[in-house]
Amino acid sequence: MNYSHLCTPHEHALSRRQILGAAAGAAGALGLGSLLRPAIAEELKKKHKQVLFIWIDGGMSQLESWDPKPNTTFGGPFRAIQTSVTGVHVSELLPRSAKIMDKLAIIRSVHTKDNSHSAGVARIQRGDPKNRGVTYPFFGSAVAKLLGPGDSGLPPYVWIKPGSGGFIHGDAGFIGPKYGAVAFGDGKPPENLVAPPEVPPHDADERAALQAAANARYAKGRGKEMGEANSYVYEVARTLMRRQDLFDSTKFDPKDVERYGTHEFGRHMLQARKMLEAGVTFVKVNSYGWDTHGDNFNGHLSLMPKFDQAFASIVSDLDDRGMLENVLVIAMSEFGRTPRINGHIGRDHWPEAWSVAMAGCGLARGAVVGETNEQGTYVKTDEYDIGALFHTWFSCLGIDTKKVNYDNGGQPLPLAHEDMHVVKELLA
Amino acid sequence: MIDTKELLAKYEPGKNVQTITAEPQVRLARYSPCGKTLVAGGYTGQVRRWNVGGDSAEMPALTGHHAWIDGIAFCGDGELLFTADSWGQLCCWRGYAAEQPEVAWKNETAHDGWIRELAVSPSGQIVASCGSDGCVRLWNVADGSSVGLLKNGRDVLRLAWLPDGTLVSGDDRGIAKHWKADGTVLRQFDASSLYTLSRLQDCGGVHALAVDREGKSLAAAGLIPKNGGTLTGPPTIIMFDIATGEEKQRWKLGADNDAFVGDVHFHDEGFLSAVCYGTPGAGKLVYVAPGVEAPFFEKKLSNAHSLSWHPDGKRVAVVTTGPGSNGNGRPLDKEGNYKGNKSPIQVFTVPG
Repeated sequence: MNYSHLCTPHEHALSRRQILGAAAGAAGALGLGSLLRPAIAEELKKKHKQVLFIWIDGGMSQLESWDPKPNTTFGGPFRAIQTSVTGVHVSELLPRSAKIMDKLAIIRSVHTKDNSHSAGVARIQRGDPKNRGVTYPFFGSAVAKLLGPGDSGLPPYVWIKPGSGGFIHGDAGFIGPKYGAVAFGDGKPPENLVAPPEVPPHDADERAALQAAANARYAKGRGKEMGEANSYVYEVARTLMRRQDLFDSTKFDPKDVERYGTHEFGRHMLQARKMLEAGVTFVKVNSYGWDTHGDNFNGHLSLMPKFDQAFASIVSDLDDRGMLENVLVIAMSEFGRTPRINGHIGRDHWPEAWSVAMAGCGLARGAVVGETNEQGTYVKTDEYDIGALFHTWFSCLGIDTKKVNYDNGGQPLPLAHEDMHVVKELLA
Repeated sequence: MIDTKELLAKYEPGKNVQTITAEPQVRLARYSPCGKTLVAGGYTGQVRRWNVGGDSAEMPALTGHHAWIDGIAFCGDGELLFTADSWGQLCCWRGYAAEQPEVAWKNETAHDGWIRELAVSPSGQIVASCGSDGCVRLWNVADGSSVGLLKNGRDVLRLAWLPDGTLVSGDDRGIAKHWKADGTVLRQFDASSLYTLSRLQDCGGVHALAVDREGKSLAAAGLIPKNGGTLTGPPTIIMFDIATGEEKQRWKLGADNDAFVGDVHFHDEGFLSAVCYGTPGAGKLVYVAPGVEAPFFEKKLSNAHSLSWHPDGKRVAVVTTGPGSNGNGRPLDKEGNYKGNKSPIQVFTVPG
């Protein structure tokens, strides 16, 4: 049967609040029930694992961050500095992160396949599995489905990003649109979130009932999943109406604001911490503008300190609060940058040998896995593709990728590339 | 008004171009005051030299620096060469044309971080350095002792001396300052259109700076940034009246998808020569004249980063990067090794 994904004008008149595009997630509708044995699901729910996924869009240079090669042909102008882990050095552009290296886990032997943004972003965030004829979910959607929203009643997958927000159902792939991302453009709540004061509570209830009827009518002409997703965003909006404190930056501690940075990324990372503290399962934070084909070194000289400031602050805060045990922190791009320096004094795209920084949730503290050669051009130890990292991350979250599969209408599909495996050296 | 036809007759590069190939690549090359040595700084901590007074053969590189060498300056007395690197080291070499010059003095921590440029005072007694630590520092050329500190606060990208012993700096926000050597700021020049904040990234700033022979005009150059990441924008020179701080003229030397003016030079005859680079492989050598709106000479080159006029006035050396320097792939040489880039230094001859 062919379903229309588009609203008819008649339906649209009743569903104007759909633009709220936010999510709270009905706990019963999400979660692990259909995927895991009940005992495992119960255990995961008890621990409530969470993820902070920091996406450095465009490609952070590994040579100006986690894998410096100072004073070599392609090493660039910067020095390397000692970290809190003896013998481990990072770029001088990461002084704060260097001090908390004992809380981090770095992999320097990432080797992936795609050197274009257009394909690379999705390919990395979907874990680049074998082609099964379906679109795999982004990691955030996968975690939203596998771990559910927890007890917070908040949406399980939120995305704090520059620019506009909305409900990004495309992230969910074949597992269903309701596992998409609730995106907060510039960290702001959806418009019209606050109920007009002139609407009394009983009117609001009547409106909710009317909305439910409208949702049911919308669902009639479509597939089950689209109907669920449509209802879901309204539930999300109602939940967020009760949690406006998550968006009111005027109430954030000014000392925190200063520590994280008053710049866009600092604000978004502080808000991410608030979301994690409130119980959101998966928080993604994007930083754009890292595609430094030109003026790479002045670019990183400006960009890296801002990343460093917010990244070190949030990892330290999560640790201080005892949350790092259950929050998996990942900071990565779609690829690294070329060792060779082009005529625009930039670096181009380089998936051959790059680095990912992580922390928390079952990862070994202070681990540095893998090694590139002296010039930083290629990996000289075992190479790890994104599929191996997906196995590792699922393992950190308590999900055994050997035992748990997606259920695609009766067809079991692996959670991550079945030819790859957990990077054991990363685990505690 | 300058007669650009007359200038072109004297300074238009001829068709004969000598190419000195630096591999691995370099960004900056300067002729020595005696004209016999061409010195270049690159990305590998080596000071490269060529005997341009003879057969143009490369001489042994000077070692002891780290990473990038962005500062090269000379002092005629005693054949002194000053070099500086991106790890903050400043070095003075005696007898730069010799096979193995001696280190007269060096300071490994002259700056905390990237030294962006060096310039020797008209008196020949002070070498000034500027860097990412936000300072201009003054050093006694004789022994390397500190004789002054000018606190700018922001990353100082470029500097130049005036004939009267004052100096100008240009920073990463597009602000140029006229300083007395005691640290007093005499005047500011607003070239902030050479800067923008794009998302998180501070983009642009004064990437080239020059003062005319009389110390009356200042040229601050870079690009008008359109976006961060792959930084692009029209390469631009802004000329100021030093006495008043007023902008006198600006030249937009390219399109929105070009990039920086990498170097600019006031010729004694009053015109400016400049080089630009862009992506991929774009760039040019340009002459402009005060009072004349459009460049009176342009020659396309691949990513031109610096220019240096020979003391004889009949040659100009331009550091370029070879075509095909960009790319996301994995370029390998015949032996299967990963390829870096090289820098053809193109030496143009002019009638003079």
